[in-house]
Amino acid sequence: MRAYPLTWRLLDVLEAGVAKVFPRRLAGATPYLMLAPAVLLVGLLVLGLFQIADGSLRTLDTTTFLMSESYSLDNFRRALTEPLFRNVALKSFTGSLIVTAITLMLALPYAYVMVRTKSAALRKILLIALFLPFFIGQVVRAYGWLIILGNQGLVNETLSFLGIGPFRLIYNYPAVLFGLIQYMLPFAVLMLAPALTAIPEETEAAAESLGANWIQTFIHVVLPMARPGFVGAGLVVMTLSLTDFAIPAILGGGSQDFIANAIYDQFFRTSDQGLGATLALLLVAAGSTLVALVFALVGTGTLGMGRAKQ
Amino acid sequence: MKDLKNPILEMTRRRFLSATASIGSVAALSAAGMSTVGLQGALAAEPEKPKEIIVRAWGGSWVDSLKAGVSDSFTKLTGIAVRHDLTEDNEIQPKVWAAVAQKRVPPIHVNWDTTTNATKSALRGVTEDLSDLSNLATVTDLAKPVGLDGYPIVNTYGYVYVLAYRPSAFPDGPPTSWKALLDPKFKGRIALYNDGIGFHFPAQVAGGGKVEDIPGNMQPAWDFITKVKDQRPLLGEDPDFTNWFQNGEIDLACTISTNAREAKKNGVDIKWVVPEEGAKFETDGLWIPKGLPENELYWAKQYINHALTRDAQQVWLDGLGLPGVVPGLTPPADLVGDPSYPTTPEDFKHLIRVSNKIQVENESAWFGKFKAIMQS
Repeated sequence: MRAYPLTWRLLDVLEAGVAKVFPRRLAGATPYLMLAPAVLLVGLLVLGLFQIADGSLRTLDTTTFLMSESYSLDNFRRALTEPLFRNVALKSFTGSLIVTAITLMLALPYAYVMVRTKSAALRKILLIALFLPFFIGQVVRAYGWLIILGNQGLVNETLSFLGIGPFRLIYNYPAVLFGLIQYMLPFAVLMLAPALTAIPEETEAAAESLGANWIQTFIHVVLPMARPGFVGAGLVVMTLSLTDFAIPAILGGGSQDFIANAIYDQFFRTSDQGLGATLALLLVAAGSTLVALVFALVGTGTLGMGRAKQ
Repeated sequence: MKDLKNPILEMTRRRFLSATASIGSVAALSAAGMSTVGLQGALAAEPEKPKEIIVRAWGGSWVDSLKAGVSDSFTKLTGIAVRHDLTEDNEIQPKVWAAVAQKRVPPIHVNWDTTTNATKSALRGVTEDLSDLSNLATVTDLAKPVGLDGYPIVNTYGYVYVLAYRPSAFPDGPPTSWKALLDPKFKGRIALYNDGIGFHFPAQVAGGGKVEDIPGNMQPAWDFITKVKDQRPLLGEDPDFTNWFQNGEIDLACTISTNAREAKKNGVDIKWVVPEEGAKFETDGLWIPKGLPENELYWAKQYINHALTRDAQQVWLDGLGLPGVVPGLTPPADLVGDPSYPTTPEDFKHLIRVSNKIQVENESAWFGKFKAIMQS
């Protein structure tokens, strides 16, 4: 009896059950079946977008606070022409680009050392330092910066001890960018590390054996080979920064709004859901266009779809 | 407001008229200090009591005051627990609107709201009519929302957006004008609400305009706000002002006197004035969303009616430091003669009050204009 254990018999029963529900002749449909959850998820998002699109075409009647029955493009006209939204969009896009560039520059050495170090202790320390911020929410981290960088915060207290300051280190645009970079850094490192791991150390050794110094190897071998990681990390950081709400709200002192803050204001302060929906739709469109542009110019990065082209 | 004329709703209201007739007796018994047991006997014929009612409120000292003045005594009186939902007023609004539109039971029984915000809900027709509350017979005109028919909201107190300042920053005496915000030495050390609320009207006067020109010509207000923007103001919400004063971030702010008083209670050196240009006077109120089961609607109305009793108002508004809508309330000792606690017609001469209907109709435009200036 040991020749055919009970667990095998159970598996046989399960297999027979599956064969009845999903016959072998349908095996070709398996990949599509596995895609179904993703399609369902995207489908729900698209449904939501249709609702948002519908809302974006309705204007608010401030005598009844109801949305209009008829459609118009008035919300789009306002969103695209009013100086407020132009300024907020400019701040958001400029900010996300600056944050992406600086974050990638900081993430690269961190990820490289973490991947290449021979010291297990250092790797552990870097990993712990990387994951620790994930356990602290974005809002808590932003408030932490208020405490550290405030007029009576740690930094200004230290400076005043030295007879300097105090300086206004928060409630301005640089403070928002600083907060975003600090928040995005772990994401970028996590996206870059697999790309760097995938580069065989032998390749670097080969370059050096052919006479390249470490800097030349890094610039001409490591960086080009890590490009998929850069693309992936860049896209994640850029889209997350572009759509961020909490950091601009907390560290911006109310005058450094990003688009998400403007959307919140329309939905929850002026009760203009139509204009809020319009801004949300434009943000989705702009973000998608930006991502599509990056895909078109430099490939799909760590998403791995580049393999299909080969 | 057309929904209030819906025959079904009229029927519902009539059905409750008999029950609400006893509200007055409940209040009278309460005032007479009748025991809880006796009151419960008197209320025996009332509709079925829910285990609890949910009242949306602002947090911190605001909800503490409401609990001490209204909710606890309501529970003692009726045996119905009161749960305070601290969802922001702006965020509960779309939830209530969606519930009413989808004919669901709303997430709260009573909304403690700014009158401006509540007016939007009233205009949208999602508020129950409160005209039949017996205690409305004894309140002042302040309880009646301006520019609306009937009582879709009951105002429960008024408040003033004062100019709060740090005395140590004004060694030569307190500021007398909103123009103090333009003093270069306060660059980066002033604060306003992030939607400009409370500041538009005094800015109109400080900018050389007239209150009567609101909303037709508010260019003087925008010009003055543009100058204030150059002073790099911090923009925030109620709790921010207390924190900013406490953390030494600001010396001057346009804020509700309650926040300034709260900061003072926390040991912050802070005072406030109503400047010579005047200050905005505003009200908050209570309202009930449509769609509640009939018995819960009844008890929600009892809650609001109870909030209009003298005893409840005295304790609630002592905590907030604000003038109520019931005659004969005693001001807190620290606010006697304070311009932010107006009680006489003379006090109100220095305050600016604009119809909430005008405010909500123009809010979006004013908000956009203020934000455009501040985000530039």
